[in-house]
Amino acid sequence: MIKERAATAPARADLCRVTVRGKDGSEEIFDIRRNDLLLKAAIEQGVDYPHNCRVGVCGSCKTRVLSGRVSPMVDLALSPLTNQEIEAGYVLACQAKVRESLVVEAKLGRHALLPVRTVASRVVRWQRLAGDVIDLRLALDAPVHFNAGQYCTIAESGSFTRRSYSYYDVPPEEGAPAGEVGFLVKRLPGGQFSEWLFEKDRTGCKFWIEGPFGIMGVDDPDRDGLCVAGGTGLAPILSIVGDRLKKSRVARFTIVFGVRTSGDMFANDRLDQLLAAYPDRVRLVTILSHEPADSAWTGPRGLVTAALGEKLGVDFGDVAAFLCGNLAMVEAVEKCLVALGVQPDRIHADKFVPSGTP
Amino acid sequence: MLDYTKYLLSPAILAVHAYGLWLGGNYVWLGMAVLLGVLFIDAYLPRDYSMRDQRYVRIYDVICAMTVIASFVNIFFFSWLVGQGHFATTSASVGAFVGTLFIGFVIGAPPVHELFHREEFVLRWLGRIGQCLIYDPWREITHVVTHHMRVATPDDPDYARRGDTVYGHILRTFPGQWKEAYHLEKMMWTKRGRQWYDPRNAWVYKAATLVAFTAILYALGGLMGALLAILTLLLGPRMLLEVFNYVNHYGLISATPGRFEKHQTWNHITPMVRILALEITNHAGHHEDSYKPFYKLEPDTNGPVQPQFLLVVLLALVPPLFFMMIKPLLKHWDTHYASPQEREIARRENERAGWHELNSPDPARDLPADVWNMTAARIAA
Repeated sequence: MIKERAATAPARADLCRVTVRGKDGSEEIFDIRRNDLLLKAAIEQGVDYPHNCRVGVCGSCKTRVLSGRVSPMVDLALSPLTNQEIEAGYVLACQAKVRESLVVEAKLGRHALLPVRTVASRVVRWQRLAGDVIDLRLALDAPVHFNAGQYCTIAESGSFTRRSYSYYDVPPEEGAPAGEVGFLVKRLPGGQFSEWLFEKDRTGCKFWIEGPFGIMGVDDPDRDGLCVAGGTGLAPILSIVGDRLKKSRVARFTIVFGVRTSGDMFANDRLDQLLAAYPDRVRLVTILSHEPADSAWTGPRGLVTAALGEKLGVDFGDVAAFLCGNLAMVEAVEKCLVALGVQPDRIHADKFVPSGTP
Repeated sequence: MLDYTKYLLSPAILAVHAYGLWLGGNYVWLGMAVLLGVLFIDAYLPRDYSMRDQRYVRIYDVICAMTVIASFVNIFFFSWLVGQGHFATTSASVGAFVGTLFIGFVIGAPPVHELFHREEFVLRWLGRIGQCLIYDPWREITHVVTHHMRVATPDDPDYARRGDTVYGHILRTFPGQWKEAYHLEKMMWTKRGRQWYDPRNAWVYKAATLVAFTAILYALGGLMGALLAILTLLLGPRMLLEVFNYVNHYGLISATPGRFEKHQTWNHITPMVRILALEITNHAGHHEDSYKPFYKLEPDTNGPVQPQFLLVVLLALVPPLFFMMIKPLLKHWDTHYASPQEREIARRENERAGWHELNSPDPARDLPADVWNMTAARIAA
């Protein structure tokens, strides 16, 4: 399928023609201004370009340049691309200035992008959960749209410090905007934002949110899902699973949830509600990585990858996988799933990377 | 052709300085005097928002490259003259040292910065080698990566927050840059699967360049010539560059790090400073697209503007005077330029600095709303 957003040739000399080829043979063609950033310009035109952080950290906008020239804003060795990928012609679209007409390879989405907005909000829930996690819930001054699995950046009013968190909410029905949004915030020792948030009850504090960003939860609605979450990586998984359960009558989900110990299981209430509402369609496997050997825990132990395998009873060749957690965990799970036969195009990942502490 | 010849002013001043050094005696002050004279006249000229002629842009590149080469010649010449015992009197010694230091900053540093931002291999190579003229080949990496990505946030070591003095800034910025440079270099060799001592690593090339440069200075001027030449580079271009960074981003705030917006930097748009600094003070355009050559930068007719550059640099050296100058400008920026989120950060920054008066409107004394707005009609007038 070829989708053209532009005439047969760029109308002006300062425009470049970008042809994006998917591995499935699809093509999308659009024009952007010479010297614009590929990702930014594509998104501004409504092109559903894969992306997440937009600042060269996550690697979601990985793009292979087949012909034409781009200039990376930074040395690609400072990006998440591997050396092999750099040598094979991959760039990050968010860091690539387009110098001439391009033919690139990337996997475009097939749904309309939501506009990014900056909205003020107030904290309406500040609840400490197990495992040094806070359930932070914000009431927004103006409602926002988001898709399941997306994230936004949040910053306390008056602070330079901003951090990215995924919404744990299921998007409202019929594309309606949400008036409240919630996040799971893990305390990181020394982390400027999380330490500040944990210091005392922040109910009533003003925050700014900017978003939504990222694409994660998109796949065939009726396809069964294997969701692997590490710690607060559960937030987008809750959003994706809840959304897909509503959109499909048949899709079933296996959630593999990894935390350190039985005392860190911060989401029991939410997961119990989900299991009670969909007893035949949702299965939960909780695995503990640091549970003392002499504890009463009878479930699986080890890293989340230890829970993956034939014994999980998942049709790996046909499943859509949704992964979220820290970078090392997600990369390990990706490798493991590919080895188990999951199609790489069906692995949707959100990698958490700790931010700096200005 | 005037647009092209304007940029010959920099190599011309370098030539005058070199000639003054050659003549010796009190003539060593000649280059410095010409430079200060030009900057003094500039302080009385109206802002220049014109665009440069774009027909023969290669001429600009040639002049820029030539200025870098002439700057190398200048510092080698200085070292050689010191080695020869050419500066007999105290006045000559001091004049040669101060002139080389100050001209190294105003004339030598801008084309180096311009070229290490370029994409063309030869020009970029010259820009990278040219970092010897600031005696710090690592400056590029923290500038291109860290500064341009995190400008106007405390995550950028080049950024000075409200209330910071230039002296505190210098003490903070150098360790911040060194730490960041190490972090980035380590990331590059780790990504490529190399050991830190692998000769293919970028830092090895930078270190080798610096050693070779130092060796040439030593060969020409002996120990004293090399030492004094290096000292002019460290106290001049290297340290004064941080004074430039201090003033050029002072106190401005970005609530969208990684996505620069034009109001997040100060500009100096006087005609001679634009020429001598190779448009680097035409700063919004540079941050908007750091690959854009200096002659394509478009002055922001509605952007935040500071007083003339030399005046601001001198004021920065006397913090109470600098604060007197900058506070009304910051208050104006907060009121008319900041986004609502940035305004809230600014409010807290003002409290942090103890500048509470910036958080209270004072219609009688606050700057008029359109003080920086240069419409076409006002420019023409």
